[in-house]
Amino acid sequence: MRGIALTSLMTCVFCVLLTSAGAAETPENKSGTPVPDAADSGGADDTQNEAAQAEFFETQIRPLLVEHCYDCHSGDDVEASLWLDSRHGWQTGGDSGAAIVAGDVENSILIDAVRYTENVIPGMPPDSKLSDQQIKLLERWVEMGAFDPREPESDSASAAIKFDLEGRRQSHWSWQPITSPAVPDVNDASWPRDDLDRFIQARLDSAGLVPAADADKLTWLRRVSFDLTGLPPTIDQIHAFENDDSQHAKTTVVDRLIGSMHFGEKWARHWMDLTRYADSYGHEFDYAIDHAYEYRDYLIRAFNADVPYDQLVREHIAGDLMTDPRMNPTESFNESIIGTGFWYLHEATHAPTDVLQNEADIASNQIDVFGKTFLGLTIACARCHDHKFDAISTADYYAMFSHLQSSCRQDYPLDPGQINAGKFQQIDALRDQIADRLSESSESPRRRDRELASAPDWPRFESKSVLLADFRGDRLPTDWQTNGHAFAPIDDSLRYAVSTTDSELVPDTVDSGARGAKAAGTLRSPSFELTDTRIHIRLRSDAHQMVRLVIDNYEMNKVQQLLFAGTILQKKNIDTQGKWRWMTLSGDIKKYIGHRAYLEIVDSGPGSIAVDQIWMSGSDAPADQPTKVVPQIDLAAISSKIQQLKQLAKSLRPPRFVIAIAEGTRREMPIYIRGSHTNQGAKVPPRILEALGGQTGSRLDLADRIASLDNPLTARVMVNRIWHHLLGKGIVASVDDFGPQGIAPTHPELLDHLATEFARDGWSIQNLVRRIVLSRTYGQSSVANPANSADQIANSDPTNALLHRMNIRRLPAESIRDGILVVAGTLDPKPFGPGVPTHRTPFMTGRGARESGPLDGDRRRTVYLTVYRNFLNPFLMTFDMPNPFGPQGRRSRSNVPAQSLAMMNDPFVIEQAEQWVKQSIAADRNFDQHPKRVISDMVLRAHGHHASDAQIEQLWQFVHSQTAARGGDQQAAWQDLAQSLWNMKAYLFLR
Amino acid sequence: MKRHHCGRFRDSGLSRREMLASVGSGLGSLAVASLLADDADAATTSPLAPKPTHFQPRAKHVIFLYMDGGPSQVDTFDHKPLLDKYNGADPAQTIGNLAPTQFDNVGKVLASPWKFKRHGQSGAAVSSLFPYLAEVVDDLAFVRSMTSEFSEHTSANYFLHTGNGLQGRPSMGAWMGYGLGTENAQLPGFVVLNGGLIPPGGLDCFGSGFLPSAYQGSVFLPGKNPVANIRPHEPNDRLQRNKLDLIASFDQGFLAESDDDPEVEAAIQNYETAYQMQSAVPELMELSDEDAATQRMYGLESSFKNTNVFGRQCLIARRLVERGVRFIELTCPSGNGDRWDQHHSLVDGHEKNCRTVDQPIAALLKDLKRRGLLDSTLVVWAGEFGRTPFAQGSNGRDHNPFGFTIWMAGGGVRGGASVGETDEWGYHAIRDRFEIHDLHATMLHLLGIDHTRSTFRFSGRDMRLTDVHGRLIEGVLA
Repeated sequence: MRGIALTSLMTCVFCVLLTSAGAAETPENKSGTPVPDAADSGGADDTQNEAAQAEFFETQIRPLLVEHCYDCHSGDDVEASLWLDSRHGWQTGGDSGAAIVAGDVENSILIDAVRYTENVIPGMPPDSKLSDQQIKLLERWVEMGAFDPREPESDSASAAIKFDLEGRRQSHWSWQPITSPAVPDVNDASWPRDDLDRFIQARLDSAGLVPAADADKLTWLRRVSFDLTGLPPTIDQIHAFENDDSQHAKTTVVDRLIGSMHFGEKWARHWMDLTRYADSYGHEFDYAIDHAYEYRDYLIRAFNADVPYDQLVREHIAGDLMTDPRMNPTESFNESIIGTGFWYLHEATHAPTDVLQNEADIASNQIDVFGKTFLGLTIACARCHDHKFDAISTADYYAMFSHLQSSCRQDYPLDPGQINAGKFQQIDALRDQIADRLSESSESPRRRDRELASAPDWPRFESKSVLLADFRGDRLPTDWQTNGHAFAPIDDSLRYAVSTTDSELVPDTVDSGARGAKAAGTLRSPSFELTDTRIHIRLRSDAHQMVRLVIDNYEMNKVQQLLFAGTILQKKNIDTQGKWRWMTLSGDIKKYIGHRAYLEIVDSGPGSIAVDQIWMSGSDAPADQPTKVVPQIDLAAISSKIQQLKQLAKSLRPPRFVIAIAEGTRREMPIYIRGSHTNQGAKVPPRILEALGGQTGSRLDLADRIASLDNPLTARVMVNRIWHHLLGKGIVASVDDFGPQGIAPTHPELLDHLATEFARDGWSIQNLVRRIVLSRTYGQSSVANPANSADQIANSDPTNALLHRMNIRRLPAESIRDGILVVAGTLDPKPFGPGVPTHRTPFMTGRGARESGPLDGDRRRTVYLTVYRNFLNPFLMTFDMPNPFGPQGRRSRSNVPAQSLAMMNDPFVIEQAEQWVKQSIAADRNFDQHPKRVISDMVLRAHGHHASDAQIEQLWQFVHSQTAARGGDQQAAWQDLAQSLWNMKAYLFLR
Repeated sequence: MKRHHCGRFRDSGLSRREMLASVGSGLGSLAVASLLADDADAATTSPLAPKPTHFQPRAKHVIFLYMDGGPSQVDTFDHKPLLDKYNGADPAQTIGNLAPTQFDNVGKVLASPWKFKRHGQSGAAVSSLFPYLAEVVDDLAFVRSMTSEFSEHTSANYFLHTGNGLQGRPSMGAWMGYGLGTENAQLPGFVVLNGGLIPPGGLDCFGSGFLPSAYQGSVFLPGKNPVANIRPHEPNDRLQRNKLDLIASFDQGFLAESDDDPEVEAAIQNYETAYQMQSAVPELMELSDEDAATQRMYGLESSFKNTNVFGRQCLIARRLVERGVRFIELTCPSGNGDRWDQHHSLVDGHEKNCRTVDQPIAALLKDLKRRGLLDSTLVVWAGEFGRTPFAQGSNGRDHNPFGFTIWMAGGGVRGGASVGETDEWGYHAIRDRFEIHDLHATMLHLLGIDHTRSTFRFSGRDMRLTDVHGRLIEGVLA
């Protein structure tokens, strides 16, 4: 290998010596060092020349390299895997390939780097630019063939450490196939209630520990109620459970909780932590992410319907491609496609000066969410280099990037009840019927292209332009895609004469009004390279439509056109007032020549748009030809059918949009070397991670492979998440990282047992949850069994990793707020729909601020409050609701005075205390006569436990004395009591 | 409340000797690196307890003077006579290859409308925009070769504050709180004094990202009750005390039933700290105990309202330093054009902005110095980027991340130093080029933290403020 390189180098040097005569200026040379002049050396004595080259290298080049380059590019550990301390080093090159092409100054990355052009890589040396004279010396050296006598000092120094993917895959536990371990034997066979208990107990046995006693009934009830629904048990539920002495009492409770609407609300929120759910994009103006809440509602429905987890995964990754999508059982719309919305809940900025960087950053976030959520893998760590620790290569990262680049975002119109679909069928049938009854006019419609070509400037236009699309015939051009039902090709059959709107249909166009003005949908081009500055579209449109160019998947031009002026036509700019016109996208397109883009034509409901031809061009659009091309056909005889058609079109339902992914134009993306899009390496097809098989295929193939028990990660990661939420800590504590940097499982056999059974049980999340909460392990008291000595615990299980007792946990942020609403009796259980706007305090200012929402969030559950990235709810954040930027399967558990201040002084808490007392007084006519019974009920509601008589007495004394201190204001004193109950740790913690 | 939790730390006035002693005895013995791996500690130990540094710190506090919008280097501290010579010339012809700008509206080469003069022993060139700062110029160390990676405010703001151009990463103040803790449990470790403008990117410039929320910046508005929920709802203290006593009494029972769970115990303790914060914070904001001369020095009597506003912020910053707060950031007042972001009307906007900050900052430096606090306080003045040496339109300047000036002063900083230079246009840094990561590394270094060793495990990686970058700006170190 090295021999070949050397030979070619020698040839190269020789060529330069022969051919570069006179090409170079003589560099300034103040030191008087001999500089070999290529001009004089043609065919001369090679030995003499070599000596001159050697002297030039030793006196000018070597010292320069040593002083300015060796710090980072010599020795054992070098930047960018590039060694500049030997000839071999720059020949093989680093991450970006050979650093020098001998004899070719302009194609040598080293020269580009020292010139500080920053076209390919950052300017080098990074701290200070070399002097012009030094740069000229290097250019000269390269031009002459880069003579370099330096040999590598040792093989190891110049050999990059090999990235051994297969070795890593074989050596790390989580890549190994999921096993089905035998259920272990235990000392006390009377303890376990479920097989999972035996795995826990066996470990306790070997540690010499005994499990804790069962938690008392009400402790368990409060625990399981919050864990399954995020809400406390009501007094009625408490009494019912207390009075149920049957064997199945716990099962009854669990079935009730899992069957409750609130189950999905709780578990959807866990999932939203992973998919960084938000209703706005953040950054400078915090623009809205329209329809995001549809994805939240989809999750709630999915968890309540117990959609099998493998199905849920498939829907997220490729719900748009499923041939048999899951339909909503009551409203029969496509549920599966809504899952894909998660891809696009990323943050987004407007006006990026480097749009490819912007695209790469968004993709990195998408890959991060994908990798961690489904696989517990930190794939995004391989963006700039092979993963430092795990079996994930940079090529793997860019294979995922290729999947994303082969896709694009869409706003997808749902069709609840398939009502519109039915009407569209009727409309199509009617149009056929009507057309059949029409007789051919003597005059047949003339071809549109002939009309266009009759414009005087057409030949000149055509010669300077590229045709992007010509909507002729009964089908869309190759690779053009639609969603919804609006866009239909209008061919030259007589159906063109049958319009549902007042606009006439024109043969050889595509028209979003053919099936009615109310029809909605998107027409999207394949992606193409921008090769010219203007895009001309011959169209007819009203002001409700939008045509835009999406460059490098930059999507925000619909809200902000800075740096993307002229890439979108909407509102009055697209209104042709019923006429056919050439409309032009231009402006900033000139900045993006060479970039990839696609066109999107959107009819979001009212009105229609029709398109004839689309050209990319450097010149202006041709003149419009006001020719009449459509022959009139007499429709008088069938006016009743036409009326029927128009009625049908009028009865279409308005669309309901969701965010989704769509199939785009297949791409094989180059590796961005060291994460830089200016420095591109080998292309990688869309495929799954090599360590998971490496198969290429569609996004749906990818989804199938991820959602499979053959994949060692998916099932393990999910059962571990459920365990984490119920027990307070995952079997793998680093729930989002199953890689070598993660934390090893405490109970690997249990993890595999649960994963195997999970898949065997049809990937039922509800069944797994039921199984765990009915186990003896989950039912333990949080106080250790006194049979275990303190020393034993300190030595064998100081962090309770073995679960010798239940963990004590603070309530999550949502449960603290929702619990307050339930206890106060103010919760509005209304599900679904657009989020309640965030209540904005005077401390929440900044750009993009919206009108403040209500302090009490309309008393809705927290999951229904909006999440504005720049205006996150401070009460919830104080209690560790995560910021929505990347997946966080495990929230931080902070414990700070700001939490106390929130519970003591936040107006929400105070307002709810007031509500609680008012309602209690109103609900109980005899409130004043048995205050202690009232107190007892209040404690039961807030803490889920019966207060002792002494406690009731103490609380009553408090009301009494506080009333006095408040100057006789008894209601205020009761409010103080109510608020104090929420501040007590018996409210804030689950035992 | 008699219980004394093991993670509880002393409130204030802890001398260095006491602190070192307590570190030795194990009170603060959680090493920076060991705190990181698991968050269980966060739930049981105060995350803001003082922590030992990697080496002897030169500064204990940071005041970050954030010049929102990007001041123009060539009009303030980076004198370029060549601009006068080529004023009005086509920059493409004279300067050469121009990088894309945010507004893509490139005008002519634009000479600075202000005169530069050399000041102090160091002879540093300062424009006539900063008459007060010129008097203390020998306390400042200039970095005239700072660069950023972003031409757009939001990304550049996140980058300056968090070392990453994307949203949702921990702010430098959060990192410093995480690395060092704070010396005063009754005040947040990271305080942002809001002058009226929240920078583009919003509160996430001051967020804790993946670090626990305790480290996030608390944004203080002007007034006695600068943060949410600091004012007791009850009309008098007794009423609240009664409630807290009731809560404490029940909590002790709960704690006992919970086998003295340390997380519950810490949560109980937080109520006492919170109670004290309710009086500590208003006391901080009350400036009536500052003498008239001091108030005048800071510009509190200035006829220009924003000097008054920023002067107040600077004075509170000093009071925060006195109270042991670790990281203090000041944002700009509104009403000076659009922050420092003079895409047009450069003269009007920069004059107002300079008038706003010049006198108060000079006063802050003098005041810290006379009280012996400057040696232990690092003051940093920086925008998210600089501005172009050519005009945007006719009378503005666009964003320029390729070379701009920041300065540092105080603890561990060599006053009078000047590091790096831009090209003769003031456009690109060409000598001793530094980036934001280097600024962060240097700030951490002065606080006694090795930026490569202050890490937090997240996302499968040991995350750092400086990511995989950062080298010390040696030239500014004393």
